[in-house]
Amino acid sequence: MSMSSKLRQTTIGRSIWRTPDAVTERDRAAKHWASFLLHIYPVKVRRDELSFRYSWFLGVISLVLFASLFVSGVYLMFFYVPSPATAYGDIENLQTEVAFGQFIRNVHRWSAHLMVLAVAAHMSRVFYRGAYKPPREFNWVIGVILLVMTLLMSFTGYLLPWDQLAYWAITVGSSMAAFVPWAGDQAQQTLLAGDSVGSATLVRFYVLHVFVLPGTMVMLVMFHLWRWRKDSMLSHPEGGDHE
Amino acid sequence: MESYDRRGFLIRIWRWAGGLVAAAGAWTTWDVLRANGAGAGARVRTVAPDEVPSVGVLEVREMKGYLTRQDGEVVALWWKCPHLGCKVPWCDSSGQFECPCHGSVFNRIGEYRRGPAPRGMDSYAVAVENGELVVDTGEVTLGDPPGNETLDEPTTGPECLGSEGG
Amino acid sequence: MSDDEPTIIGNKRVLGIVPSRPPVGERKDPRADDQVMVWPHLLVRHAVVAVAVLLVVLVLAVLFDAPLREIANPTVTPNPEKAPWYFAALQELLANFHPVVAGVLVPGGIVLGLLALPYIDRNPATAPSRRKVAVATFTFFLVAWIALTIVGFAFRGPSWSWVWPWQEWYGEL
Ligand code: FES
Repeated sequence: MSMSSKLRQTTIGRSIWRTPDAVTERDRAAKHWASFLLHIYPVKVRRDELSFRYSWFLGVISLVLFASLFVSGVYLMFFYVPSPATAYGDIENLQTEVAFGQFIRNVHRWSAHLMVLAVAAHMSRVFYRGAYKPPREFNWVIGVILLVMTLLMSFTGYLLPWDQLAYWAITVGSSMAAFVPWAGDQAQQTLLAGDSVGSATLVRFYVLHVFVLPGTMVMLVMFHLWRWRKDSMLSHPEGGDHE
Repeated sequence: MESYDRRGFLIRIWRWAGGLVAAAGAWTTWDVLRANGAGAGARVRTVAPDEVPSVGVLEVREMKGYLTRQDGEVVALWWKCPHLGCKVPWCDSSGQFECPCHGSVFNRIGEYRRGPAPRGMDSYAVAVENGELVVDTGEVTLGDPPGNETLDEPTTGPECLGSEGG
Repeated sequence: MSDDEPTIIGNKRVLGIVPSRPPVGERKDPRADDQVMVWPHLLVRHAVVAVAVLLVVLVLAVLFDAPLREIANPTVTPNPEKAPWYFAALQELLANFHPVVAGVLVPGGIVLGLLALPYIDRNPATAPSRRKVAVATFTFFLVAWIALTIVGFAFRGPSWSWVWPWQEWYGEL
């Protein structure tokens, strides 16, 4: 008996995992009910969902990148104070003094770029497969919201290093809000917490970037996956696409 | 008017209460987050009126803008591009304002020449107090729409923008 | 096949031969809409994908450093001033159209259109050949957007003038 299955048989092990080793298909199916991590998966999927061609695994790729951003982002938060007086110096310090600081920052940056790509590609793939058709309409809507939130995450994160790239990209980007009919100036001032990008803007973007947006996104992703799980048990329109 | 039983009445009450709390929350959030305008719009004391050039412009950082003259009158321009808010630098060689972001061009008194900007540069109110120009950065006059260039001042040389600017 | 004369193939004795079709009915080929267990079939694929993605990120992070320019300076606008690449298409539009069109109507319209898509397109078919209009429309927008992104990202230099990326490079990541 392996180490891990012995562990599962102990009193504590059973209190954690609740199900015995998965030997038969029935055990594994039971796991999907008992295990927290597995419960986001359906028990069975259609065979063609296994192939790369079906989804290019873009949804999983987006999720993995989101996780990578989450973890690397937490590291970065330990070394960063969102104020114009310190922000830039903190990034320089991170890159030169902190062990693996530059590496973590690189991971965060490249994961962010890749995630925008992955999410956009995921949406296109879902479109071409027609996988937004009933009964999946609302999950598509959630997906579009998640795409917009991914862009907002990236946009708010862009300001945080407080370098020239950041400052002017946000200046130009947020000025678009000023052209919204009726409430334009109000919208822009609310976004920037003032007339131009300044210390209040930095705090505002920081809070959005590390708490409000990711928190909302986690909830929406859970809902998105839950819907996927539910819908994967339903029959597909036309019984699947025959390309 | 429809009549309710007690259950229907209570459900209504709950819904209204919920809606009220949501509306109050939304309004509070808006009121907390919207900019309160404090800090912006200070009155800035600048230079004596006769230091303002009628050829070229004078950059004044404190008022985020430039001073120049139109028919002898002092004009105080805001340096923020009416397009998307970049700082518009003065180009000495061509004698006009040229925005590096998307290539909008304005003449010496901020009137629209070309580019994606929707109007000319915005200007502040100016007054003379104790022999000094005082610029009220809280009082901004929007620039004129394109097509009304009144200043007849051709460019004086090559532009600072990239060769194929705009 | 008799016991005294065993059939030998490749040094192995053949014990029996079964017909290629089952005794009753047709042979069952695996079909696309068969149900298979998620564990292990899907899980192992997802695990491999996750490892591959993390590997790509790791390699990128080792090879390329995230950019950091000079400290923010409100009095100097860099030239060219470039937005992040995923807004390059928008920036390209902004340089050519009134901001209300390029900054509000176009992006707003795209997002609203995407949100409403499943409610507009009520055609139940999923095969591309039976939804030509939807596929053509989406492809048109996708291609236009990608083209604008590439132009804005790589083909624009100082003051948003046209440059050739192989001669001068102004892309920012
Ligand atoms: S911000 Fe000046 S031209 Fe766009």
